[in-house]
Amino acid sequence: MRSAISFILDEKIVDLDFKNFKEFSPTSTVLNYLRSLPTHKGVKEGCAEGDCGACTVVLAELVDNKITYRAVDSCLIFLPMIHGKQLITVENLKTPEGKLHPVQQSMIELYGSQCGFCTPGIIMSMFALYKNNNKPTREQIDNALTGNLCRCTGYRPIVEAAEKSCVHNCVDHFSNNEPQIMKLLKSISKESIHIQTHNQRYFRPASLGEAISLKHQHPETIIIGGATDIALRVTKSHELLKEIIDLSGIEELKNIVATESSIIIGSGVSMDDIIPKVKKDFSALYEMLSVFGAKQIRNLATLGGNLGSASPIGDVIPVLMAYNASVVLESLNGRREIPLNDFIVGYRKTVRKSDELITSILIPKPTSGSIVKSYKVSKRKELDISTLSAGFRLELDKNKVKLITLAYGGMAEITKRATKTEQFLIGKDWKRNVVEEAIQYINKDFNPISDVRGSAEFRKIAAKNLLFKFYIEGRNVI
Amino acid sequence: METQIPHDSAIGHVTGEAIYIDDILVNEQLLIGKVVYSQYAHARIKSFDLSEAKKVNGVHVVLCYKDIPGHNQMGPVIKDEPVLAEQDITFIGQAMFLIAAETEEKCREAEKLIKVEYEPLDAILTLDEAIEKNSLLGPPREMKRGDVDIALKSSKHVLRGELRTGAQEHWYLETQTCLCVPGEGNEINVFSSTQHPTETQTLIAEVLGIKRNEVVVEVRRMGGGFGGKETQANHVACWTALLCNVTKRPVKIRLFRDDDMIMTGKRHRYLTKYEAGFDDEGLIDAVKLEFNSDGGAATDLSFAIMERTMLHADNSYYIPNMSVTALVWKTNLPPNTAMRGFGGPQGMASMETVIDRVARYLKKDPIEIRRKNFYGLNDRNITHYGQTVENNRLYIIYDQILKSADYEKRRKEISDFNTQNEFFKKGLALTPVKFGISFTTTFLNQAGALVNVYTDGTILVNHGGTEMGQGLNTKMQFIAAAEFGISIDRVKVNATNTSKVPNTSATAASSGSDMNGMAVKNAIDIIKERISKELAQLWNEKDVNHPSVPSSIIFKDNFIFDSDHPDRRISFANAMKQMNLRQVSLSSAGFYKTPTIGWDKIKGQGKPFFYYSFGMAASEVMIDILTGQYTLLRSDILQDVGDSINPEIDLGQIEGGFIQGVGWCTTEEIKWDTKGNLMTHSPDTYKIPTVQDIPKDFRVKLTEGVPNPVGTIRRSKAIGEPPFMLAISVWLAIKDAISAVGNHKIEPEFSLPATNETILLSIEKIKTFKVLKTLKV
Ligand SMILES: Cc1cc2nc3c(=O)[nH]c(=O)nc-3n(C[C@H](O)[C@H](O)[C@H](O)COP(=O)(O)OP(=O)(O)OC[C@H]3O[C@@H](n4cnc5c(N)ncnc54)[C@H](O)[C@@H]3O)c2cc1C
Ligand code: FES
Ligand code: FES
Repeated sequence: MRSAISFILDEKIVDLDFKNFKEFSPTSTVLNYLRSLPTHKGVKEGCAEGDCGACTVVLAELVDNKITYRAVDSCLIFLPMIHGKQLITVENLKTPEGKLHPVQQSMIELYGSQCGFCTPGIIMSMFALYKNNNKPTREQIDNALTGNLCRCTGYRPIVEAAEKSCVHNCVDHFSNNEPQIMKLLKSISKESIHIQTHNQRYFRPASLGEAISLKHQHPETIIIGGATDIALRVTKSHELLKEIIDLSGIEELKNIVATESSIIIGSGVSMDDIIPKVKKDFSALYEMLSVFGAKQIRNLATLGGNLGSASPIGDVIPVLMAYNASVVLESLNGRREIPLNDFIVGYRKTVRKSDELITSILIPKPTSGSIVKSYKVSKRKELDISTLSAGFRLELDKNKVKLITLAYGGMAEITKRATKTEQFLIGKDWKRNVVEEAIQYINKDFNPISDVRGSAEFRKIAAKNLLFKFYIEGRNVI
Repeated sequence: METQIPHDSAIGHVTGEAIYIDDILVNEQLLIGKVVYSQYAHARIKSFDLSEAKKVNGVHVVLCYKDIPGHNQMGPVIKDEPVLAEQDITFIGQAMFLIAAETEEKCREAEKLIKVEYEPLDAILTLDEAIEKNSLLGPPREMKRGDVDIALKSSKHVLRGELRTGAQEHWYLETQTCLCVPGEGNEINVFSSTQHPTETQTLIAEVLGIKRNEVVVEVRRMGGGFGGKETQANHVACWTALLCNVTKRPVKIRLFRDDDMIMTGKRHRYLTKYEAGFDDEGLIDAVKLEFNSDGGAATDLSFAIMERTMLHADNSYYIPNMSVTALVWKTNLPPNTAMRGFGGPQGMASMETVIDRVARYLKKDPIEIRRKNFYGLNDRNITHYGQTVENNRLYIIYDQILKSADYEKRRKEISDFNTQNEFFKKGLALTPVKFGISFTTTFLNQAGALVNVYTDGTILVNHGGTEMGQGLNTKMQFIAAAEFGISIDRVKVNATNTSKVPNTSATAASSGSDMNGMAVKNAIDIIKERISKELAQLWNEKDVNHPSVPSSIIFKDNFIFDSDHPDRRISFANAMKQMNLRQVSLSSAGFYKTPTIGWDKIKGQGKPFFYYSFGMAASEVMIDILTGQYTLLRSDILQDVGDSINPEIDLGQIEGGFIQGVGWCTTEEIKWDTKGNLMTHSPDTYKIPTVQDIPKDFRVKLTEGVPNPVGTIRRSKAIGEPPFMLAISVWLAIKDAISAVGNHKIEPEFSLPATNETILLSIEKIKTFKVLKTLKV
């Protein structure tokens, strides 16, 4: 057991023991840590909530004996979460000889910076793109850069800089240095970490078993997966989180197992890792995850966290309901599988007992002939929280509705199915005038509120229209 | 000489080495400052108690208005903004107390211990309420030509309506920040992210009760400004200076994003009422406009902004009979302030609405109505405020963009698409911009510079403008290099500093390069004259028979030579050594004031603008009529920049301004709750465009071969603001798409921004209307 964390910065191992390290606590963010160093002021704060990308850094880590590079928002990451990883900032991109990295060079040549405040973050997102995609498509570029707001440029030159620079087969001076970094990474112990300071306790268990028994001993402790929700309590509300169990170091929770009939996704898998795995068989989930937050968020956020927060505007829950997914909960008392339909019982309330962890999510493959679709309505199409969202499923028997699931987010205090509308439709012909009649039942199912994201009236109309859209789009499939 | 030089800070930007105020290394004496602001929109402070807060370990001071040694005022023009509230609270976010502590946590801890007893009062939170209660910020203004009422009566057709345009948050990436370092005696060094260092200096001096020569304000660069740091950077600077003054320690205040959004003013929201008279062909004879803007709780620049609205209410159109009434209303919201376009966007959106409605009413393509009403080249060319529209580029740009954007063909394709698609509709709009360049407060049109030449042949340029990303320093660097005939790498542009160039105007009104460029040139001309005279003399000393004359001496390619005697040639650097040995001053101040302008504010007549900048955009969108979500398919832009000093930088200004305008027109929506709390106080709920919100097909061009005929620096034109308003094309394209839902038979309800909600609700109205109509039949 260790009380200190270790990571690589500037190609050296940094050991931080919170006992002797007074300025920072285990819930200090990587951003604040970096900005406290005279040599890493390039990392900027634009919002402290994951919405602007000015704080973007790249985390390199060992996966299957290879180094992966991922862009993340350093404002959302607690220091212990980078244990065992390499932290790369904009200051590290030049070669040791002082030559600019191709992404930096092309940003200069194409006038990709104006005020320059967003630029270090953009450089880091582009660097991650460089390391992961040779000759990226426009879609991949957009994807990599959506999490970086720039108020000056209009983005066009930035996109062109990415096109121009990401053409060297992902090779750069980091590639040359990988053996050395690998050695350093391997030298960092994978042991569990227990940090105890005068007012906080932070556990980073290394195994699921340990996590479960920790949760048993400390049932009121806050769990974090990617911390993209929980971190805001620190960065925005300035809360003192007294006790945390951080699941991000547990390999067992990061597995995805696909079988003939289903896919089982570990609760600790990041959204970005789920995306390629569900593209083929779970297209509605794929669509939804593609507009989930932005790259930097998807690299951190977990499915466990999305279900754990049980937010009424959580994007994944409606579509998973449509897939008839189940949540797997584990504690010292054993394991149980709860259909998602029964999992959420109130505003941000679930049936999960305080000593239980969400360990995986089981999604059965839809039977052939059934259609599943997901929809998200938000003010801005990308990197926005839904005003409303939906997951729909339909099975027909000779053009009559045999099964229908209409799950909506943002329409009530929980993700909720439009049961009256569903009932109306069951057994009826699946055709335009019937659906047009059916959508009138949405008003009976929901009484949404007006809030900052949209008026009740807007929500009602859009909710109806989504069902209609489902019909229109389904027409082409069936 | 190469014109395409990179941004002078580009390397610093991409390596993270560029220093912003929060990055300046300060010794461990630094204290962190925090502003404690009101939680009520309108209230009286009955009592407050700071004693517990002051006791917190690590807290150095907690200040209230009583601790202000000078004036408790920071209004830029009208003195109606206290630095710290005394008894009256007039908006949520108004500063009441200041804390300086060793850490941010200590500040927060202290803040929690401050006790305030308020007496809440009724607040005015909407324009409608302000109008109802006649809560004006100042007297109404009027500008008119002809008799609009008579003209409206005799017009064949008359349309009336209302337009609401929304507020906009600047969302500079770097929030308001200031660092103050105490000097000797009263001296104070201020590092502020301000667009107006002189005003920052002035206000700090007034607030601290010291002299202006004791305050030095320095601005290396801002992480974006967009007008939001023209007056309101002063606030943070005054607060920081107060804390620094009391503690005699370096103090820094950097506003947390949410606090920045809550405390600072925005682009003014407007309610415009319009009435327009026109004939069968769409020739407009009369327009009557009433602009109502939400000024917020104090004046700030609201009247100057409203003035620009009035001066841009015509946009590009000659309106024989026109009357513009303007009212600035007082509400209990943060004082609204400058933002790119400075009132111009609201004025133009109104006139473009009129044009669009006239076209829809007459069932004509709006471009026909636009072209018909454009200012004429030789007649119909006087604005409603009496300035002649000279060097009118509207027709050239119109003809070019119509072709390059393939307008007619696409109009047809869109119409076909709309017939074939029930659930997706496309729309297209082409809108012009004519933007007047100069401060409308005439005396502000002045700039200063200080150019130093060193004996190694390098140049240090100081000027009064500030760099906020727009590339001003890059342009100044280029101008200096070009004027001295030396390579770019020998020129460095210094951080803007009030002790180098005093009494400057704000970097605003798109005038930064025009004015500071001329001031820099003026300084260089003076130095070059001295050098030429001395060199002529030096060469003449060697050969009296063939005299060199100063006017024949040329500065080129890092050399200076006599064009009459090309063998008389010396490298620039060597020449400077010589000059120093021969006791020639190699430093000069430069100055410029914009010529030929004059504006009578009272009469509303004159020539407020040195020249006009022209541009047009054609945008195509597609809307999903079931969700209200829209996609910007294509935008073509053609913008007049004269002879561009740096085409890539100008392109960047056009694209960036346009996209910011697209944000204002579409996803950027500001909402307050019924208590006056800003609901959209972070990027979680306030949505500026991302990389995916730019046009799928984005074609931006600069006009070529059309130098600015008026004598601007290197015949260039201002570029900061005009492109913002080109985004109105996107907004009206959305309206066009909505209108297609009702086969262009029903005038859509429309406002700005056109959020997905606005779009969907407007569509719903059309659908209901259609249903009602079918029922009737
Ligand atoms: C900028 C930004 C954009 C976002 N965009 C979206 C979006 O588009 N759509 C959307 O739905 N959400 C979005 N979110 C919200 C958030 O990212 C998601 O809810 C995310 O899935 C949470 O996952 P996490 O692992 O980061 O959660 P955490 O913050 O780690 O945890 C969230 C909650 O779940 C609990 N929890 C986590 N793991 C477990 C577990 N294994 N067992 C039991 N409980 C657990 C935690 O205790 C906590 O209550 C966004 C957030 C940000 C900051
Ligand atoms: S600071 Fe904005 S995303 Fe981190
Ligand atoms: S360059 Fe200013 S925000 Fe991007």
